[in-house]
Amino acid sequence: MRAAALALALLGIAFGAGGEARAQEASTEAAPARALDDAALRAACFDLLGRPPLEAERAAWLGRGRHEFLDHWLSRRETWSHWVEEQLYFFFLIDNFRPENERVGELPALLASRKLDVRTAIHRIALSPSFDQRNPGADTFVTVVMEQLNGLRVQKNVRELEVGKGIYDGKPGTFLGKSGSTQADLLRIAIEDRSFVQQLLAREYRRLVRAEPDKAALTELVRRFQRDPSVFPVLLREWLLSPAWDMRVRTRTSAPNRLWIAALHVDLLGREPLPDEARRLRTALDGLSDTGPLRSVLARVLIDSGKVQLPAKAEILDPTQWIAGLFARLLGREASAEELRAFATAFHEPECRPQTVLYALVTHPEYQTY
Amino acid sequence: MLQRQAALESCSNFTVDRRALLLGAAAGALAMPSLASTSLLAPQERKTKHVVLVAFAGGVRTRETFGAPGNVPTLEALANEGVLYKRVKSSNLGHFGAALSIFTGISEARGIRENARGGDPTLFEYVRKDAGLRASDVWISTSGGAQQTNFSYGLHPDYGARYGANTVDGDGLFNAEFKSILEAWGRPKALPPKEAELLGRMRGAIGGGSAGSAEDSARIEKYILDELTSGTADIRGANAADAKAIRVARNLLVLFKPKLVSIVLQQADAAHGSYNGYVEIIRRNDEALGELWRAVRADPELRDSTAFVILPEFGRDADLNSRRGLDHGDGSNDLEYVTATCWGPDFARHRIVEEDVQAIDVCPTVCELLGASATKARGKRLPKLFA
Repeated sequence: MRAAALALALLGIAFGAGGEARAQEASTEAAPARALDDAALRAACFDLLGRPPLEAERAAWLGRGRHEFLDHWLSRRETWSHWVEEQLYFFFLIDNFRPENERVGELPALLASRKLDVRTAIHRIALSPSFDQRNPGADTFVTVVMEQLNGLRVQKNVRELEVGKGIYDGKPGTFLGKSGSTQADLLRIAIEDRSFVQQLLAREYRRLVRAEPDKAALTELVRRFQRDPSVFPVLLREWLLSPAWDMRVRTRTSAPNRLWIAALHVDLLGREPLPDEARRLRTALDGLSDTGPLRSVLARVLIDSGKVQLPAKAEILDPTQWIAGLFARLLGREASAEELRAFATAFHEPECRPQTVLYALVTHPEYQTY
Repeated sequence: MLQRQAALESCSNFTVDRRALLLGAAAGALAMPSLASTSLLAPQERKTKHVVLVAFAGGVRTRETFGAPGNVPTLEALANEGVLYKRVKSSNLGHFGAALSIFTGISEARGIRENARGGDPTLFEYVRKDAGLRASDVWISTSGGAQQTNFSYGLHPDYGARYGANTVDGDGLFNAEFKSILEAWGRPKALPPKEAELLGRMRGAIGGGSAGSAEDSARIEKYILDELTSGTADIRGANAADAKAIRVARNLLVLFKPKLVSIVLQQADAAHGSYNGYVEIIRRNDEALGELWRAVRADPELRDSTAFVILPEFGRDADLNSRRGLDHGDGSNDLEYVTATCWGPDFARHRIVEEDVQAIDVCPTVCELLGASATKARGKRLPKLFA
């Protein structure tokens, strides 16, 4: 715990009054409810920050309560920056279509400080020229609005589509029960509609909890959001403290390319990828249905580049402990006895380098899950 | 030639009313099964061993292809030596859904920006499962980015990832910027045999596993690395992404000699904002397809055993929009009917098929060619295709 307190102090993480002292005394306290282990911490970081914990963050948060972690990160710009990125990806506003204007650029800071709610944030994204350019023409634009914002199948809502296309072209009409006559009206109506809230909450729940929201529960969530859209961070907190999220931690799934790229940089280089690095690598990986071979190539290229700091073999005095540490840090779990035995045996062979151990872990399919 | 010219002119002149259209379609549907069943050969008797299926997608009207043959000399030449379907019914389901329909043989109502797999098996899964093909035998080369990787397989429990195609997005993987990152990092070092064996032993000790054989993975890994250092990453121009997709397919054909290569183009969708740009992309894509065709004819193994099937996923509106571009949403014949070109050793030559067929007929047809059965598809085999 002393190390954790030091790490938190280095990070400038606010404990409130007497925080450091409280951390130093923690050894006499009971473990907090839902204490973060490697699996939960790694999962929570992926979900909120889009990357695994940095080494200092890991030292700071392991063993601490999940609620405390959420309270800290849900008011941080990094969390909302990742949230905005996820929304842009959902709308395919990536690469050449990424909105670069100030009104979208300031969203993470405004969301973190609760000066803006997520509905207004998505409205801003949809009003950006990039959204218009990405979805050119009345048919495409209105189809995307109905499908992406409202979760409506246009094939089953042909009348709304036709009316919406008319409004897009400046013809007055009633779309989703409200009058409009401009493209801006169309977006406003779509985003104010209840179906928008339902679609947003359902897809965010699926993204974070990896399960379908219960119908009655979703109705209640929609009701709360409709009453006060600023409740969204509270909902996120509830979801990540729920037993359903505990289940999500236990059921790993393939990490999207953008998360895998971030993980590789954080785990091997101790830093997040630069936006341009991330974009280039993601574009390449997104072009493959089976990214395994290319991920393997990239991981090996990075390890071989000499940019990854590893101890010399002679400096690793307790290989089993070193290997166990890598399992915990990179895979978010303890190594089994068989795994430790196999790795330690291989490590003692003269041809095995520390890099070889790292290759084995980061090129393995399990590392590509989260 | 005069007859062909007349036929081409009528291609761009869709004046059939809806009632006549439906009657014609119904008559065609009644006639098709018997025609198809009598003209198809059993797989072992066919000369076709490789199929190149091109979704000439992005929304391409017949007016700018066979209605203006100077734009597409390659398609014109392929059609002259093969079969031209003048009226292929497509569905305006958005680019993603409409292109997916070609691969599943089912009209797929999918979201335009939906980035998820469908529930129906694709022709890649049918041929891999039924014909027992390896992963390296079935490829899709795309130009539309992440969304198009979903074409490789669906989520049907009897099929799915284990029968999926390898998908390579040419513009994503083989772009100069990505190449520069790899150049900055350097190439991976070859491992001495003993270290490689230790690595394999450690990887094998970790729970879990990967799809596909290690041999296939290694070949694909090598292909990617080799391709990255070739000229594909340096292709420029209005149709660069499409041209890369075609180049990747050409290189795949020559290297792997796969049974099925599909190419999905996309850049003609620039038509929303520029009619002239759209026509230029069609011309360039036709030129790139010409290179692919020449490469096939120059290869002793491929030239007499490779078939081409080429069609757009749908057309575009009849009239220009206010930006002097072409959208896709007016429900016109220009939008909903496209042309399909088929060329191959088993196909008829110099044949123009006037009757209505459907884009979803392509899936069962390609499956038949490769000895598979598209059991879930709703399309029928293309009529009058075989010699």
